[in-house]
Amino acid sequence: MLFSVLIYANEDFMDAITPEEHAEIMRHHRAFHEHTKGAKTFAAATKLMSTGTAVTINKESDDYLVTDGPFAETKEQFMGFYMIDCPSLEEAIDTVKLLPLEHGRVEIRPVAYFEGADFKNAERLVIDAS
Amino acid sequence: MPSAWLSTHLRAARPRVLAALNRAFADLDLAEDAFQEASLKALKNWSPEDLPRDPAAWLVVAGRNAGIDIVRKKKRETLSAPEDLDPIIDLSDTEEALTDQLDRSVYRDDILRLLFTCCHPVLRRDQQIALSLKIVAGLSVDEIARAFLVQPKTMEQRITRAKKRLGAAKLRYEEPDAKARAERFSAVANAIYLVFNEGYSASHGSQLIRTPLCLEAIRLARLMVRLFPEEPELRGLLALCLIQHSRHRARVNTNGEAVTLEFQDRSKWDRRLISEGNVLLEAALRSAAPGPLQIEAAIAATHTRAATYDDTNWTELDRLYRALEIIRPSPVVLLNRAVVIAKLKGPEEALQLLEKLSAPLERYASYHAATAALLTDLEQYPKARAAYKAAIRHAGTDVERQHIQSKLDALGH
Repeated sequence: MLFSVLIYANEDFMDAITPEEHAEIMRHHRAFHEHTKGAKTFAAATKLMSTGTAVTINKESDDYLVTDGPFAETKEQFMGFYMIDCPSLEEAIDTVKLLPLEHGRVEIRPVAYFEGADFKNAERLVIDAS
Repeated sequence: MPSAWLSTHLRAARPRVLAALNRAFADLDLAEDAFQEASLKALKNWSPEDLPRDPAAWLVVAGRNAGIDIVRKKKRETLSAPEDLDPIIDLSDTEEALTDQLDRSVYRDDILRLLFTCCHPVLRRDQQIALSLKIVAGLSVDEIARAFLVQPKTMEQRITRAKKRLGAAKLRYEEPDAKARAERFSAVANAIYLVFNEGYSASHGSQLIRTPLCLEAIRLARLMVRLFPEEPELRGLLALCLIQHSRHRARVNTNGEAVTLEFQDRSKWDRRLISEGNVLLEAALRSAAPGPLQIEAAIAATHTRAATYDDTNWTELDRLYRALEIIRPSPVVLLNRAVVIAKLKGPEEALQLLEKLSAPLERYASYHAATAALLTDLEQYPKARAAYKAAIRHAGTDVERQHIQSKLDALGH
C-alpha cells in the first residue's frame, strides 16, 4: 500500500537554522532514505521550493485567477513529501519515526491513486532543481 | 547554556515579536528590552519536548508583560502613580487566544511598521541599514560593527543617533495610501539590498564576500516575500539576492582572489538558488509592474542563462540596462551599459560613453578599471596603465586592489 508522508514546518524557523542544525535535520532524512531504500519501500521524495515561489490558480466563473503565494496561509508550510510503499499503516508510522519530528509536523495519508514510473524496477530519476 | 534549538526559535520569531511589541509600546528601546526579557523567560520555560504551540505568540505575551513591568518601574522612579496597565497573568490561556488573534494580517502590518521605522527617510542610509540589522535581524552592535569594519563604539553611536532622530521626527503611523506604501516598500527593499550588497562586495577590508550578511539579507527578503507575496519588487529583490549569491563559490579562487564573471567556473554556480530566483522573477514579472530590482534580477538571470561567457546574450542585457536607465538612471547603470556596448559595438563607442561619466564616477574604482580594460583592447597601454593606477587608488578592499594590480602587471611596463 502506498503512503504519502507530508511534511509541514515553519519557514521562519527553517530560515533561521544554522548550518549545523541543518546538517542534523539532513542526518535524519538520510537515515529515512537509507532505511526505505534498503527495505525497498522507497517510492518518491519531493522537496518543494519556498512558498514565496508559489502561485495559486482559481477558476472564477469562466476566468482563471492566478494569485501570488501559496493556497493556505498557516503557521506551518508544506515543505515536501515522501511516498513509501508499506504493507500497513503501522509500518508506515514506524518508518516515519526516522524523520526529524522535533520541529514541524508530518502527516501520513494513504494514496488512493498513483501513476508514475515503476519505481521498483525503473532507473531512478533524481532532479535537483537545476 | 541555552540549547541551540531554542535560540533558533527565538531568532526565527524575533522580527514578528519585536514588531508586535513596538506597536504596543511605540518605543524601539522598550520593545527591545521587553523582547530580551521575554527571551530569557522562554529559555527558562521552554524545552525541545515542550514548546509553545506558537512561539511568537508566547513571546509577544511575555514581552508585553515584561514591557509593562519596565514602564511601571520607570514610573515609580519618576514618582508618578502606576496606571491601569495590567500584565496578563495566565500565559498559557492567553497564548491560545492570541495565537488565533495574531493572524498574518496583524503580523504583516506590525513588521511593515517596524521596517518602515528603521528605513524612515529622516535617517541616512548607513543608519537605516544599521538600525534594520539591529532591530529586525537582531544582530548585536559588535556583529554589525564587525560587518562594517568600524569600532563597536562608532556603531553604537550611529544606532543611538538614529533612534534619537526617529524620536525627534515624531513618527505617526497613519494608514499609508497606495503611493506611500509603494515608496516605503522600496525603502525597505533598498535597505535589505544594501545589506546584501555590503556582503556581496564588501566596501572595505580584506575579504571580498561576507557570506553572513548575504544570508541575513536573503532571510529578511524571504520573510518579506512571505508576508507580502503580492509585491513584485520584493520578489524581484529576493530573486536578485538569490541569483547573485548563487555565484559566491565561483567569485573567489582558492587564494582568496577575485574571479570576474568572464573567468568563473560556471559549474560552481549554485543551480538551486538560480532556479528559485528565476521562478520568483517570472512570478514577479507576471504582475506587469516592473521596478529596478526586477530588472536587476533579470540582468543577473540573463547571465545565468549563458552556458559560457561567450554565449552571453548582450543584446538582451543592453535592452535591460536601457530599461533600468529609464526607471532609475544613475552613472553606475550607464557604466554597466558601457561594458555591454563594448561587447556589441566595440571599445571606441563604449569609451565615448564612459567619458561622460568621468566626473560623477571619478572616485569609483570600477569606472577606472572598465576604462583601463577598454584602453587595453585599443592597445593604448600608457593610458590604460594610468587608468588602472587610478582604479587601485580608489579600490576599497585588498582583494580588489590585488585584482587590479594583477591586470596592471599583465600590461608590463
